[in-house]
Amino acid sequence: MTLKVALASFAHVHAGSYAHLLAAMPDVEVLSADPDGASAPDDGPRGAALAEAFGIPYVDTYDELFDWGPDAVIVTSENSGHRALVERAAAVGAHVLCEKPLATEVADGEAMLAACEAAGTILMIAYPVRFAPSYLQLRANVEAGRLGDVFAVLGTNNGKIPYAARQWFTDAKLAGGGAMVDHTVHCADLIDGLTGGASATRVYAASNRILHQDKGVEVETGGLVTINYDNGLLATIDFSWSVPDNGPTWGGVSLQVTGTNGSVEIEPFRPHVGGTDASGEVYLAIGGNLDASMVNTFLDAVRTAGPAKAGVAPAVVPQPDGAVGLRTLRIVDAARRSAASGQAIDL
Amino acid sequence: MSEELAGLTVGLIGAGNIAHVHVAAWKALGARVLVHSLEGAEDLSEQYGLEVAPSLDGLLAEVEFVDIVTPSATHKEITLAAIKAGKNVICEKPLTLTAADSHEVIDAAQAAGVRLYPAHVVRFFPAYKAAYDAIQAGRIGEVAVARFYRQASSPAGAGWYRDVARSGGVIMDLMVHDLDQARWLCGEVTSVYAVQNPPTVDGISPVNVAAHVTLTHESGAISHCRATWGATGTTFQTGFQVAGSTGVLKFTSDSDTGYKEELQNGAADGDLLIPASTLGESPYLSQLRELAVGLRGGPDPRVLASDGATAVYLAEAARASMESGQPIDMKTFVSTGAVA
Repeated sequence: MTLKVALASFAHVHAGSYAHLLAAMPDVEVLSADPDGASAPDDGPRGAALAEAFGIPYVDTYDELFDWGPDAVIVTSENSGHRALVERAAAVGAHVLCEKPLATEVADGEAMLAACEAAGTILMIAYPVRFAPSYLQLRANVEAGRLGDVFAVLGTNNGKIPYAARQWFTDAKLAGGGAMVDHTVHCADLIDGLTGGASATRVYAASNRILHQDKGVEVETGGLVTINYDNGLLATIDFSWSVPDNGPTWGGVSLQVTGTNGSVEIEPFRPHVGGTDASGEVYLAIGGNLDASMVNTFLDAVRTAGPAKAGVAPAVVPQPDGAVGLRTLRIVDAARRSAASGQAIDL
Repeated sequence: MSEELAGLTVGLIGAGNIAHVHVAAWKALGARVLVHSLEGAEDLSEQYGLEVAPSLDGLLAEVEFVDIVTPSATHKEITLAAIKAGKNVICEKPLTLTAADSHEVIDAAQAAGVRLYPAHVVRFFPAYKAAYDAIQAGRIGEVAVARFYRQASSPAGAGWYRDVARSGGVIMDLMVHDLDQARWLCGEVTSVYAVQNPPTVDGISPVNVAAHVTLTHESGAISHCRATWGATGTTFQTGFQVAGSTGVLKFTSDSDTGYKEELQNGAADGDLLIPASTLGESPYLSQLRELAVGLRGGPDPRVLASDGATAVYLAEAARASMESGQPIDMKTFVSTGAVA
């Protein structure tokens, strides 16, 4: 069965990855729209020109995109635009894969979950690191009890500032914040997957803007979040955009998981062939295409679930789902409030 | 033997884990060592060729200065005894178990005109000193976010470590190194937030436990210290990442050594309580040489008693934060001196 998959917005840098994957799938018909692209401040093509570069069909408006009757929609807008697009997708009965974070505000996230629940559509969140072989191995070992009781986690997500490609990542209104919003959720999701959905009970965050002062951004560029969970676990996540502009483009994501029987550390983007070429360091990643695993998981679920029926839960709920998205958004929201007040926030 | 330390007689007080490392350093420096300890002095003496002092007073009467390597809860009393005898003191970290006690011994030392240095050996580990020098030289610009970690096989299964009144727990005993590093590399601390899992109950530390502490600094920098008493057999590892406005510094003790071994026979485990020395000169030797030269009137060493007192103060603030569930403002924090 051929699936009709809509790609809504090219604001997020991952839209290109999804477009290429979808374009190469024989049993997927893809259509895209990026009506807000023309007004973005970034260099480089958006809209129809970018769709052409991706090699996928394009329409000028979201009305045309949703009127097309997609089976599934991938939402890759600015974070603050997720809610409107997810609600539109739910309204036409389309299953949704939404870029992370779920939304910029908890109330938006709750509304999105409610809309998808009412429409009977899948809501999956684009957390690709969940599909890394190293993470799957870690989770299997945790679930098999090989670490004993897991009592502490340190997560890092230290990429470069995504400023050059898309400036909205450093716009507090469009992104919901800076590095804290962009990076905390990935590690929070990985922890969520290890705990089977433990909820945060207390969150403390400290942030600053010392990194990337030269770019004049008005959002936090570095800092730390410490989380206590309802199962006792404690975790700290370093969300800093602390890989310098001239640093390696790879790596930065790690998770150290400590249990009473030992510890495991993963670096999902570390598997590589290294070397040097005329332009400097060579880094040939060999850790697998995580986006492909994630999109395939989503589309398999869409096929299995079939057309959404309003008020009926989909037959399959691919992970990470909207509930994970909301739990991780609550952590980010508490972290924002903590960093602003200087106090730990009880949830 | 180094010229500047010629004719040195050191009084070693204590004969536990760290005593072995210090003795090896003192012997390498050509010092004569007298040892006094409630337990283990004879064995240590036999192993390294020392002289046993049957009493503390007897030891104090014979030595140039003392090196205190006893359990943490006894540091204050023994330091005060040495000061009273007019002897200079090197004291293993933590200087004492409360900042109030640290200030008491510092005041006593000043009043008696003797010198007192805490043994914060991490300042002598080449990786940490190199990072300090690079930051001072502006190599990474303004420090923004720093992380330090330290993990060891839990010592809390036996001995005095699990008794928080005697060891101070994982933060006072293990993280105190990195609290000092965070302050050394990032500057004075303005707030302290701490969590620990599992919690300490009735003054008894869990055997396996992790503590995470976030510090904010006067400069605006943020730092994180993570200390873990891990499962039995956990190798001692430390590391850091310091991100600044123009660069990043990273170090991991288990991988950035330039030496990796996989030996199938007779590869004994090292002592898991104590960081393995680097391949070059032992940092313990570097430390004790610098401190001893300082005690003999040479230049001030890179770590002073006030640094030791501040590290203890930060550890106390971490405990207060765990009790209140909120960050502690270091502008107003007064340690209660209560240990538990």
